[in-house]
Amino acid sequence: MCIIFIRIEPSSPVPIYRQIIDQIRYQIATGALKEGDQVPSVRQLAGELAVNQNTILKVYNQLCTEKVLKIERGSGTFVTANRQSIPVAERKRIVAKLLREAAVQAIHLDVGLEQAKEQLEKEYEAIKLLKNKTGAR
Amino acid sequence: MSEPVIKIEGLRFSYGSKEVLRGVDLEVSAGSIFGFLGPNGSGKTTTIKVLLGLLKPGAGVCRIAGLDSQKDVMTVRRSVGYMAEDQQMFGWMRVEQIVRWVGSFYPGWDEKFVQELLDFLGLPRKSRVKSLSKGQNSRLALLLALGHRPKVVILDDPTLGLDPIARKDFLRYVIGLLQSNQVTVFFSSHLLYEIEPVADYVAILKDGVIAKVDKTDQLRQSVKKILLRGAGDIELGGVGGILDVARMGERIALTIEDYNEARRGEVEKKSGCAVVDEVDLNLDEIFEAYIIGNRGQRVKV
Repeated sequence: MCIIFIRIEPSSPVPIYRQIIDQIRYQIATGALKEGDQVPSVRQLAGELAVNQNTILKVYNQLCTEKVLKIERGSGTFVTANRQSIPVAERKRIVAKLLREAAVQAIHLDVGLEQAKEQLEKEYEAIKLLKNKTGAR
Repeated sequence: MSEPVIKIEGLRFSYGSKEVLRGVDLEVSAGSIFGFLGPNGSGKTTTIKVLLGLLKPGAGVCRIAGLDSQKDVMTVRRSVGYMAEDQQMFGWMRVEQIVRWVGSFYPGWDEKFVQELLDFLGLPRKSRVKSLSKGQNSRLALLLALGHRPKVVILDDPTLGLDPIARKDFLRYVIGLLQSNQVTVFFSSHLLYEIEPVADYVAILKDGVIAKVDKTDQLRQSVKKILLRGAGDIELGGVGGILDVARMGERIALTIEDYNEARRGEVEKKSGCAVVDEVDLNLDEIFEAYIIGNRGQRVKV
């Protein structure tokens, strides 16, 4: 069983279940969590984080519909790498929604489109680099 | 749905001429963790005491675990676990002594379970109560509330005075010991951010009535701060759900509940101002809006 490091920020306007989802996704993106890794049970993770079990259940259900996690009856919940099974349009929609928030912030803070693009590239490369590093471990 | 485990209807209570509860209505469903919030002195403890039959209400009915709080006082105490606010325990007793002593009051005390709990909660059996840390103290109080294996537990501000680590530790036991065993938990606090991670539902008590009850994550979703563009005096024209109104220069900030597309349309139409931004709030901001929000309909320069 793998350990998931999750930090909950109580003063954040982002709901707790979203915070947990985002952090699990991030850890899969960076390769800290890999295909086939078993994640803690709902009860275990809820206990560890001192978070309501229904919240964790909601997180796992959401990640299962996104095919990030897979529940195998009797043996537990696992990370899948089968993202290709989500239609491209749907994957794009998820990314677009997040980029929209970034675009709003960029306009608010007067960061130009070119600068924002550059920043996105940087972040993208940094995460890939992390993934390669952990993959080579 | 099955019958609620706790049901409070039209509850009124006064201390002398001061009316503290002015018609409280609440329902708590089985197996849920229910966060009962309110500022200090808002009547949380009074509500709990009436619910346990320790105080007699001026009006209203309370039912808990299928019993009438006023008519079945003794049975209520035997069926419900109760951890009082700032619970006082005899400091000179040893942990094992106070456990035995409290246990003697309950016909259904489960000695084997209590011994397991002492280990699980990491409580030193031979130590004197007065020598325990604050965290150990609250764990001991929790144990004493659970020894008779109640299906409903009332925790009155149980983490008051605990440091953040001990607080999280305590909440972890609430999840692991109570939610895992489908025990219904009624948990009062004056800190919304503390309740949020653990509560299925949240109720906010203000001025002696329940100002809001909702699923915890729903509350987050439905309350927003929106910014309107508009100078000069503005009349909101009876827009519903307003919790707070403030002017910020050329803009007006509205904190508003049950916010959605329709509400947005209503606001724009009635105020004649465009909504230029929508902001998510954290729970303390939401709580604050309910407790001290300015609910006016008119905004002056």
